[in-house]
Amino acid sequence: MEMLAMAMLAVFTAGYLVLAGADIGVGMVLPVLGRGQGERRLVIAGIAPFFLGNEVWLVSAVGIVAGAFPGLEHRLLEGLFPVAGALVVAWVVRDMGLWLRGRVDARVWRAVWDGAVVAGSWGLALAWSSLLGTLLADAAGAGGSGFNVGSVAGLPLVVLFVLHGAGFARWRLSGEPLRRARRVPARYGVTAVVLVAVTVVAGLGVEWSRVQASPAGLAVTAVMTVVLLPLLLAAQGLVWWTFRGRVTAPTYL
Amino acid sequence: MDALMLARVQFALTAGSHFLFVALTLGLATLVAFMQTRATVSGGAVSGGVVHARMVRFWGQLYVINYAVGIVTGLVMEFQFGVNWGGMSAVTGEVFGAPLAMETIAAFFVESTFLGLWIFGWDRLNRWVHLGLIWVVAVTAYLSAYFILVANGWLQRPVGFVLEDGRARLTDLGALLTNPTAVLAFWHVVFGGLLTAGVFVAAVSAYHLRRRTGEVEFFRRSMRVGLVALIVGAVVVPTPGGMQFAYVQPTKQGASEKGLAEQARFVAEFGPGDYLAPGGAKVGEVLMLVAWQLLMLVALAALVKVWSGRWLVRGRVFHVVLMLSVPLPYVAMLSGWVFREVGRQPWMVYGVLTTRDALSKVGPGWMAVSFTVFTVLMVVLLVVNVWLLARFARRGPEAVQLGAAPPVRPVEPVLTPSY
Repeated sequence: MEMLAMAMLAVFTAGYLVLAGADIGVGMVLPVLGRGQGERRLVIAGIAPFFLGNEVWLVSAVGIVAGAFPGLEHRLLEGLFPVAGALVVAWVVRDMGLWLRGRVDARVWRAVWDGAVVAGSWGLALAWSSLLGTLLADAAGAGGSGFNVGSVAGLPLVVLFVLHGAGFARWRLSGEPLRRARRVPARYGVTAVVLVAVTVVAGLGVEWSRVQASPAGLAVTAVMTVVLLPLLLAAQGLVWWTFRGRVTAPTYL
Repeated sequence: MDALMLARVQFALTAGSHFLFVALTLGLATLVAFMQTRATVSGGAVSGGVVHARMVRFWGQLYVINYAVGIVTGLVMEFQFGVNWGGMSAVTGEVFGAPLAMETIAAFFVESTFLGLWIFGWDRLNRWVHLGLIWVVAVTAYLSAYFILVANGWLQRPVGFVLEDGRARLTDLGALLTNPTAVLAFWHVVFGGLLTAGVFVAAVSAYHLRRRTGEVEFFRRSMRVGLVALIVGAVVVPTPGGMQFAYVQPTKQGASEKGLAEQARFVAEFGPGDYLAPGGAKVGEVLMLVAWQLLMLVALAALVKVWSGRWLVRGRVFHVVLMLSVPLPYVAMLSGWVFREVGRQPWMVYGVLTTRDALSKVGPGWMAVSFTVFTVLMVVLLVVNVWLLARFARRGPEAVQLGAAPPVRPVEPVLTPSY
């Protein structure tokens, strides 16, 4: 049963990094892809229908941690408190930017919230790089319950997010922003595989037996997740199918 | 302030602002779903249902603005469980975590994904599919509230577990899910949310009718929807609320006979200390009842007026009363919640884990930094979104951006020379 719960946590964490990693990456390079405010709005339209359905993978991963591996919360959140805090702040700032930028038609308003999207995306990517770096170093034997060498050494992982975002932009954008995205030698499939691999290896650094819930508690979360996973995948599939193709016009955001 | 007080105030501010927005979200999602059903049945914007389709977009946009704050404050709250209340996840994480896991996977995941489809798929999807989406969003929003209240209900009245080596183990999931403090609180919140949304919709409509902004049919119909929700909400909400008193902790009522007996039992079991609820709980209880009684008066007036369209359009005093009523459901909600949560102190999990023991070992310096950063963030978020809600409510249906055809402006041509 603990294998099942671990597999589910891996699916949701990797799912988040692959799916949301793309819209985070696009947010990071927003000023590069879109030069004027009109172009930037188009770039945002490329990720707009996806970001809500992407970030829920992380919320669910945290839910699995709460239900099946309550001890892990302590290791990740209490031990790495500043990084976890920065991650949440960046997430909030970025979401605010996305939701608010289109609401008022004024140059300064848009510029401020575009700035929030870019800063929040970088903050998220850096926090994730540090977090993954710490866990990778754990897996390599660094150990400990707080920061280690990987917390800093992992920071260059942000490049992965940039490349992944550029790869996604190649699918979704059109016109000038697309031309700029094509200058980056990025492939969505390649960076997706790397992100999954990083997640799995990072997971090897956790002492699972010490953080897991009792068999009954573990089973409740694991079984429910397995049963619902096909439904959640179908919902995600519906999003991709509905918003396939390139964007040529702005959306609500 | 010591670390415990900082952490408690931080949680109270986050959960309080979360609850303010969630209450409106729950009720408004339901009203929008009904409006969209009406619009879809009457043929959508193409044929007879023009006014209904416009209502869906106007109220739908206010709902979406509101929803975004709900999500973001929810994230910060989930983060605090892990960071500030590490002692809770260490001792009771397994039991408390189970409903949280269910909420994220069985409810929030679907709610958020489908809301994205609803917002961005406005012109792309078949209108019946689009209608189905908002109903899924509304139902999963309620499911989400239920699971959260299962978690909270367990803090109030812990059931379905055993303590082994100082850690709570889940033994009876059914008892957890059918805990009366969870189920009754759920129905209480359902009708509280409906009441909140009813007052909101009626008050915004009253503003426009009073100002004679020209959208008479639009806001007459909207006002009726709001008033029906207000009446149903106000009349039903005290029933599941009052039924909870059968399960209320003896210490919540202060130094009553039962409370003192419980105090003596806790002293014998956990050592000396004050186990009676702080006075703030009583203040919350009284404020909640006063706000509800005022709302009942509004509901009675509404019951007289709701039958006649002319009365709805003309009653200018009634319009002012409705506009002044907007804060009342929020006062009732927040003070009811203070009664529930402050009344549980000094316990985090009643009779199992004290709030002090639930606190993380994070240093007070970090606690202060986190408190400052998140409080500033929450205040900015609240101010900006309340301002936006007011702005779009005031501007009326013509200024709606949700589901509108994209503004016609020179979008960059698909092919441009690259020199």
